[in-house]
Amino acid sequence: MSEPSEHGATAASSLPAAVPGDHVHSSLTKLTSGGAATGSRGEMGEALLEVRGLQKHFPLTQGIVFKRTVGHVRAVDGVDLTLRRGETVGLVGESGCGKSTVSKLIVALERPTAGSIFFKGKDVARMGGRALKEYRREVQIIFQDPYASLNPRMTVGDIVAEGWSVHSDVAPKKGRLKRTQELLDRVGLNPDYVNRYPHQFSGGQRQRIGIARALALQPEVIVCDEPVSALDVSVQAQVVNLLEDLQDELGLSYLFIAHDLSVVRHISDRVAVMYLGSIVEEGTAEEVYSAPSHPYTQALLSSVPLHEPHLRGQKDRILLQGDVPSPADPPSGCRFRTRCWKAQDVCATDPPALVDRGQGHPSACHFAEARTVVPVDAE
Amino acid sequence: MTRPDLSKATAPVPADGRPVLEVDDLHVEFRTRSGVVHAVNGVSYSLTQGETLAILGESGSGKSVSAQAIMGILDSPPAVITGGGIWFEGTDLLTQPEEEQRKVRGPGISMIFQDALSSLNPVYSVGFQIGEMFRAHRGMSKKDARKRAIELMDRVRIPAAARRVDDFPHQFSGGMRQRVMIAMAIALDPRILIADEPTTALDVTVQAQVMDLLKDLQAETGMGLILITHDLGVVNEVADNVAVMYAGEIVERGTVDDVFTRPAHPYTDGLMSSVPQVEAKGGRLQPIVGQPPNLARIPSGCPFHPRCSRRRLGAEAAPGRECSTDVPPLRLVVPGREAACHYSEEVLGVRAQ
Ligand SMILES: Nc1ncnc2c1ncn2[C@@H]1O[C@H](COP(=O)(O)OP(=O)(O)OP(=O)(O)O)[C@@H](O)[C@H]1O
Ligand SMILES: Nc1ncnc2c1ncn2[C@@H]1O[C@H](COP(=O)(O)OP(=O)(O)OP(=O)(O)O)[C@@H](O)[C@H]1O
Ligand code: SF4
Ligand code: SF4
Ligand SMILES: [Mg+2]
Ligand SMILES: [Mg+2]
Repeated sequence: MSEPSEHGATAASSLPAAVPGDHVHSSLTKLTSGGAATGSRGEMGEALLEVRGLQKHFPLTQGIVFKRTVGHVRAVDGVDLTLRRGETVGLVGESGCGKSTVSKLIVALERPTAGSIFFKGKDVARMGGRALKEYRREVQIIFQDPYASLNPRMTVGDIVAEGWSVHSDVAPKKGRLKRTQELLDRVGLNPDYVNRYPHQFSGGQRQRIGIARALALQPEVIVCDEPVSALDVSVQAQVVNLLEDLQDELGLSYLFIAHDLSVVRHISDRVAVMYLGSIVEEGTAEEVYSAPSHPYTQALLSSVPLHEPHLRGQKDRILLQGDVPSPADPPSGCRFRTRCWKAQDVCATDPPALVDRGQGHPSACHFAEARTVVPVDAE
Repeated sequence: MTRPDLSKATAPVPADGRPVLEVDDLHVEFRTRSGVVHAVNGVSYSLTQGETLAILGESGSGKSVSAQAIMGILDSPPAVITGGGIWFEGTDLLTQPEEEQRKVRGPGISMIFQDALSSLNPVYSVGFQIGEMFRAHRGMSKKDARKRAIELMDRVRIPAAARRVDDFPHQFSGGMRQRVMIAMAIALDPRILIADEPTTALDVTVQAQVMDLLKDLQAETGMGLILITHDLGVVNEVADNVAVMYAGEIVERGTVDDVFTRPAHPYTDGLMSSVPQVEAKGGRLQPIVGQPPNLARIPSGCPFHPRCSRRRLGAEAAPGRECSTDVPPLRLVVPGREAACHYSEEVLGVRAQ
C-alpha cells in the first residue's frame, strides 16, 4: 500500500507496472450495452462497496526532536456505508468530521485503524497485488483541493493520461491524445489546453482536470471529494449533469462528498450525514431532506443560504452554540451533545445507535424526531 | 477565553460614502510561451467603508487575478499589469515604488486565499504563522504573539486552540486551514479584507458562523469586504452589491436584490438558472451551454456571444449592436444597474413581466 498522499497521480504511479488482462474492456462494454441480458439494469442495486466499522485514528505527537504520542485524532470512528451499483450516496458533514479521511481509506491511500472495506464482497485489506491494482483502477477519486492534487510539472494531457501508463489496456497507445482531448472536452475544458500546466488554470478549471483524470481509467466507482466546490454554478451544473450522464451510460456509482447541500440533494439517491467521525443520520435524499430527524441535520439544513432575495430571512435558522469538539477528545455518549439543544442526561452516558426509532430512517439520536426545516413552498 | 479586542487599533468611523478602494480600468495579462492570456480586461469597481461587494462569475474569469493585483502578489513574469490604477485611500498604489506599496498594503489590505493549503507554510506550526503577523508588524515577543495566535484561533472557532496551536497545517482539515487563514487575515485589523472563496471548504453551519464573524468584525471596524465566491446563497445573505465577471470583464453590477431578482445580462441570467435548489430535487440542472472562453483568444464583439441564447447576429442585429462584432460597453441600463450587453433592456423587460 502506498504512502498517504494528496496526489492522486503519485498514488497511481506507485502501483506495480504489471499489465492486467483485457477483461477491463469487456466489463465496460458490458456496462455500456444497457440492453444486454447482464446489462447494467440487471446488476443495479447490487452492493458494490461495503464499509463496516471503519476507523482511522491519527497519532497526535508532541516534541520536535523526540516525538511522543500524546493522543489520537479520531478522524473516522466507526463508519458504516453501503454503495450499490449505479447509485449515488451523498456524504455531508461538518468540516473536519472525517469525510476526506473516509474517501482516502476507500481508495486505499490510507490504511484503516480498524474496520473493513469490501468491494464486490472481497475484503480490500486482503487483496493481493493484481486484485489490489484492479481495485485501484475500479475505484477512482476526485480530490477536494484542486491545487494540491495536480502535479505542477506535468502537462494537463500527461496528468489525464498518467493512469494509462499503469493500466495500459484501458486506452490503446495510438489514440491517447485524441482520447485525452475528448475527456477534456467532456469535462468542459478546451481540448487545445492539453499542453498547458496546472498553474495556468483557475481553481475551477483545475478541478475539471481532476475529473478528467478519474474518468480516464473507466472506473466503476468514483469517490468525489467535493468535486464541484471550486466551480461556478454553471460549470457545477455542467459537471453534475456530466456525472449523471456518465452514471446512466456506464452504471457508475458515486460517493459524493460536498458541503453544498443543494447539490447533494440534487445528485444523491441516498444521503449520509456525518459528525465527528461517525454517521448520525442516513436515508434516501427525500427522507433526510424532508424529514430530518437528527438535531445536527436539522441545524445543517436550516443554515443553507438561499439565493433568492425574497427568501432571505424566511427560514428559522437553528444557530448552533459552542465549538465543534476536538476529534482528539470527543464527548462521551452522543458526540453532538455539547452543541445540542435537546440534550438530556442520557446523552452524556449512552452513545445513540444509528437506528430507526420510528421516524422512518436511521438516526443516531435518542430523541430522534422528524421535523421540516427547509421551506416546503419556496417558490 | 477572552476575545482579542480587534476594534482597538481603528475606531469605528462612520461611512462617508468615499471609497476606500477604487480599481480603475485594470488590465492584467499573462505572457506565456503559448501566447498572451488576457486575464483581466478593464475591470473597475469601488468599495466604501463597511461595504460588502461580492464578485461572482465564471471560474477562470479573473476574479482571483484581479484580487491578487490589488494585493500586489501577482507573479511577474508571467503576469503583467498593462493598465489601470488601484487607488487605496487616495493614492494610486501602482504608481508607488514597491517598498511604499508594501507599507500601505501590509496592514491596510489583507486577503484570505482560495487555496488555504498552499498558502500556509508546511514547515511551520499554524500558531507560529499566525503569530508571525504580530511579530513582523507589531514587534511583539514570541510569547505574546503565541498568546494572540491562540486567541485568534479561538475566535475563528478552531476547537482546542490552545492544544492545536503547535500543530502543522497538514494536520488540519481543509476547513480548519481556511479558518487559520481567516485568523491571519484579520490579525492586523485591515481596512479592506479580500476574501477569495473564504467558506468554500466549510459546512453551512460553520459557514454561517464565519460569515457572522466577518460581519461582526466589519461592523466593529468599518472594514470593506470584497467577497469572491461562487455561492449565490452566501452572496444573497451577506453582500450589499455584486459585480458579475465573465472573460476578465465585469458584465453586470448592481445591488444584490436587483441583480438576483432581475438579471440584466444573459450570463447572470444563466448563472441564476443553473443553481440547484435545496427545497426541490427537480429535474436536470440547466447550465449555460458551451465552453468558457479561452482567454488567449477571447471572442470578438461580446465575449459571451458564442454561448448567448439572445445574441443577434448579422441583419438581425440593431445597427452598432451586432453581438459578434460590436463590443458592448458596461453601461447604465436602469438607475443603479450597469450591464455590458447590447440588449439588456430586453433581458430586463422579459423578466419584468
Ligand atoms: N495526517 C493527519 N494527521 C493528523 N490528523 C489528521 C490527518 N489527516 C486528517 N487529520 C484530522 O482528522 C480530522 C478529519 O479530517 P478530514 O480531512 O477527513 O475532514 P473532512 O471532513 O474532509 O473536512 P473538510 O470538510 O474540512 O475537508 C481532522 O480533525 C483533521 O485535522
Ligand atoms: N500563471 C498563469 N499563466 C497563464 N494563465 C494564468 C495564470 N494564472 C492564471 N491564469 C489564467 O487567468 C485566468 C483568470 O484566473 P483566476 O484565477 O483569476 O480565475 P477565477 O475567476 O478566480 O476562477 P475560479 O473561480 O475558478 O477561482 C484563468 O483563465 C487562468 O487560466
Ligand atoms: S442523542 Fe441527545 S445530544 Fe445527541 S443529538 Fe440526540 S438529543 Fe442531542
Ligand atoms: S451583447 Fe449580445 S451576445 Fe452579448 S450578452 Fe448581450 S445579447 Fe448576448
Ligand atoms: Mg475534506
Ligand atoms: Mg479564483
